Amino acid sequence: MTLGTDQSAADRLAPQRSNRKALDRSLALLLVGTVALMPPIAGIFLINGTILGIPFTLLYVLAVWALLVIGAAALSRTLRDSDETLPAAEDQPPKG
Amino acid sequence: MLSVDILLAVCLGYVALLFIIAFIVDRRTRQGPLRWLHSPVIYTLSISVYCTSWTFYGAVGSAARNGLEFVAIYLGPTLVFVGWWWLLRKLVRIAKVHRTTSIADLISSRYGKSPSLAVLVTVIAVIATTPYIALQLQSVTRSYQVIAGEADGITTAFWVAAGMALFTILFGTRNVDADERHHGVVAAIAFEAIVKLLALIAVGVFAVWGVAGGLGNVFADVPAEAIRGAGDIFGPRWVTLTFLSATAIICLPRQFQVTVVENIEERHLGTASWLFPLYLLGISLFIMPIAFVGLKVLPAGSNPDLFVLTLPLAEQQNELALFAFLGGFSSATSMVIVAAIAVSTMVSNHIVMPVALRFLAVGRTVGSDVRGLLLTSRRISIAAILGLGFLYFRLSGGSDALAAIGLIAFVGVAQFLPSLLGGIFWRGANRAGALTGLICGTLLWAYTLFLPSFGGDFILSAAVLADGPWGIAALRPQSLLGLTEMDPLVHAVVWSVGFNALTFIAISSLTGADALERLQGALFVNVYRSTGGEAQAITEHSVDTEDLYVLAQRILGRDHARRLFEEMAQAQDATHGMPRVTDQVIARLERELAGSIGAASAHAVVTRITGNQTVGMTELIDIASETQELIETSRQLSQKSAELERAAQQLREVNERLRTLDAQKDEFLSQVSHELRTPMTSVRSFSEILLSDQDVTDTERAQFVSIIHDESLRLTRLLDEILNISRLEAGTVDLLILPVDVNSAVTGALNSIAGMTRNRKVEISFEGAEDGVQVLANDDRLRQALINVLSNAVKYNGSRLPRIDIRTHATGAHVSIDIIDNGGGVTREEAATVFDKFTRGNRGDADQGAGLGLTISRAIMQAMGGDLTVEFASDGSSFFRLKLVRDNSLVVQQATGDD
Repeated sequence: MTLGTDQSAADRLAPQRSNRKALDRSLALLLVGTVALMPPIAGIFLINGTILGIPFTLLYVLAVWALLVIGAAALSRTLRDSDETLPAAEDQPPKG
Repeated sequence: MLSVDILLAVCLGYVALLFIIAFIVDRRTRQGPLRWLHSPVIYTLSISVYCTSWTFYGAVGSAARNGLEFVAIYLGPTLVFVGWWWLLRKLVRIAKVHRTTSIADLISSRYGKSPSLAVLVTVIAVIATTPYIALQLQSVTRSYQVIAGEADGITTAFWVAAGMALFTILFGTRNVDADERHHGVVAAIAFEAIVKLLALIAVGVFAVWGVAGGLGNVFADVPAEAIRGAGDIFGPRWVTLTFLSATAIICLPRQFQVTVVENIEERHLGTASWLFPLYLLGISLFIMPIAFVGLKVLPAGSNPDLFVLTLPLAEQQNELALFAFLGGFSSATSMVIVAAIAVSTMVSNHIVMPVALRFLAVGRTVGSDVRGLLLTSRRISIAAILGLGFLYFRLSGGSDALAAIGLIAFVGVAQFLPSLLGGIFWRGANRAGALTGLICGTLLWAYTLFLPSFGGDFILSAAVLADGPWGIAALRPQSLLGLTEMDPLVHAVVWSVGFNALTFIAISSLTGADALERLQGALFVNVYRSTGGEAQAITEHSVDTEDLYVLAQRILGRDHARRLFEEMAQAQDATHGMPRVTDQVIARLERELAGSIGAASAHAVVTRITGNQTVGMTELIDIASETQELIETSRQLSQKSAELERAAQQLREVNERLRTLDAQKDEFLSQVSHELRTPMTSVRSFSEILLSDQDVTDTERAQFVSIIHDESLRLTRLLDEILNISRLEAGTVDLLILPVDVNSAVTGALNSIAGMTRNRKVEISFEGAEDGVQVLANDDRLRQALINVLSNAVKYNGSRLPRIDIRTHATGAHVSIDIIDNGGGVTREEAATVFDKFTRGNRGDADQGAGLGLTISRAIMQAMGGDLTVEFASDGSSFFRLKLVRDNSLVVQQATGDD
């Protein structure tokens, strides 16, 4: 599998651009997750009490976790569609 | 109570099932790729080898002791996969391009294929993996003891270790894959991932709804402290644990194996980026409920690390307990299998192979069967690693909480992080920095965490732990330099990882790197832009293809080597036989070998057999490109400054010319006014006399008027000449150019000055051109120029017997008229200025003219396409030459007319 040479420049650039976008978004997700789960922000949710019988702090951590999973799943769709998987080394036609 | 026989039968049956799965998958893969095996789900499940028996049993124990803290161990990997998958993707790409077999291979390959770095990373990996394997042995032994009653712990652990070693050897070293992929093992690991997840969820569901009777009851009487842990849960320890687990998911040898080495397609990471965090979330969901239900239901003093097993047992749920045991067993075996395969690959590639190659190699060829040696060394390594794990289990007494042991391993492998990240993102990172950082970090890790974990039984005594070596309190392992208020884990991480990163960066910045390091650095950092370092043929090699083939056969196996060489021969368009030895072939071979024995060993072998370093052109270009950019930039800069310099020079020249012209104009004006002044003065003075003096006689009056008239004429003539010159020089005069007969023009001019020549008795000789020679000229103007020059020759001739020779030559396209007088001519200095305006010769009579004659003559000649020059004969005498354009059309006409 090789990248076609007849592809127009625009076609080749489009996945790159959306890739960069996806990269930025995943970085943002990482940042949001880290901030939400690390002190001092996480400390705000250190509240006694339960919701539906589940301790609030535990629920908070699990909820953030679940949201991260959902965010990653949404992002991975763009990635899958636009991923320019280059040919693996063994598939490359030897040059010479 | 479950019987021991049933337990053993279930274990063996389960292992047999795993083996069958692996066997079938391996077999099917060889027949052709299996679609379902290539699914990203299998890949993601295999990554869950992260969840070992530490998770299965230990997480519940941790939750029972420290509340939420256990979650941090799963948040780190979640964050990495959710937001940092592109780091993993880069690692996968690098591993594919460079045929990386392990994390030690990657780091050593990055830093110039350094064997010493490979050995160091391998040793650290072995040391860090040992407690982790001990942890698995411990949990399997404990769980076995719980079900089978109080069997001897050490004996049980020994048999568990032996069984696992055998199992791993059967599993992982049936062949040496060229790309170190183990499809069968991956499938089995994926299966185990499902077993442990289902087992944990089953126990959790049973605990919540079977025992406690609903979620509300689980947390009903739980105090807030039980969830927050002892102190502030979101404190330094929380941050440290998250950091460590995030590091571990990248740096643990077994994680590197499943995530990077076993990766089939890069885009599988896209699925794993959310599916793996989801798996972690699923496996963590029931940890806390199990812990709190266990604390409530089970008698006080029960080991919380075994709640997953003891809870069903206490409730007489033997089948569930058996399933839970299998879940724990599968999480332990999957970890041990993958870790042992990963670490044994490192040991055999980076420690055994280099030594073996040194001893077995005779001259330039490699003796004996390298493949056999590789397999044997891997098998022995696996046994040795499990042996070490068993030894650690015995030494540490098996009494520590599971979590503590796992964390020791985490901090150990965290030492790879600076070199790894620096290696793939920073081109300036070099081998010296990586070596120093790794050594510093590992020593500090051993001193502050690993050795103290033996509790004073191994190397560091209890006294040293308490008071520091030689009683120096500042050197106490768990409060170095008086950092006493810290949690021992945070303390160890701050010192070891911090110092590691610091020395890595400092030494890398302070020292240089050799060519191969810089090359590999460029290839790794720019892996998406690089073509994978395909070498171009630049040199001829003395090595025989046959030698390379034998080498490839011994390391890759007969079939693989044959396929590889056929492929390379085809690539060179050879219809049969062996490929020619080019740099490209050697680079390809080295890459293939690296897939089996690691980059450093492959490089060593190939370098020895070919006798030179294989650094390809593309690789050199990659390094050079940066330098090239700099050179290009500075070249452009210097080009621009040169252009500026040139423009400034031109400006200076133009300015200079303008200045000269200005000066000439000033001079001309002053000369003109001077010339005009003389006649004007006489006109004015005589007219004043006529106006004021009434006594002037008529004769005098007539004389004065005549003088005024003469001077006015002279003024008019002068002004006409000046006007003439400026017109001629500006090229605004349209001269009517027609064919003119040379001889008649000269004769006509001589007639015009005949009066003058006769008066001065000048002898004239005229050597005319052959009849009919015509020039292109304006007849009147040519005559004017001739008269000017001739009259000059008459006027300034001071000889007693004045004589003028006129000779005409018609040469090619030109006709020249030489006017030679015997008056002495002009000197070479005078020749330079003789045509300037208002220049008069220094001989002859005064007041002969305005000094414009020659200037006008030359302007006329040039306007007609000819010239007027001063020439010097061989004897030094000078003469004037008028050059004219010959009219050849008439000559041709004449020639045709003669026929």
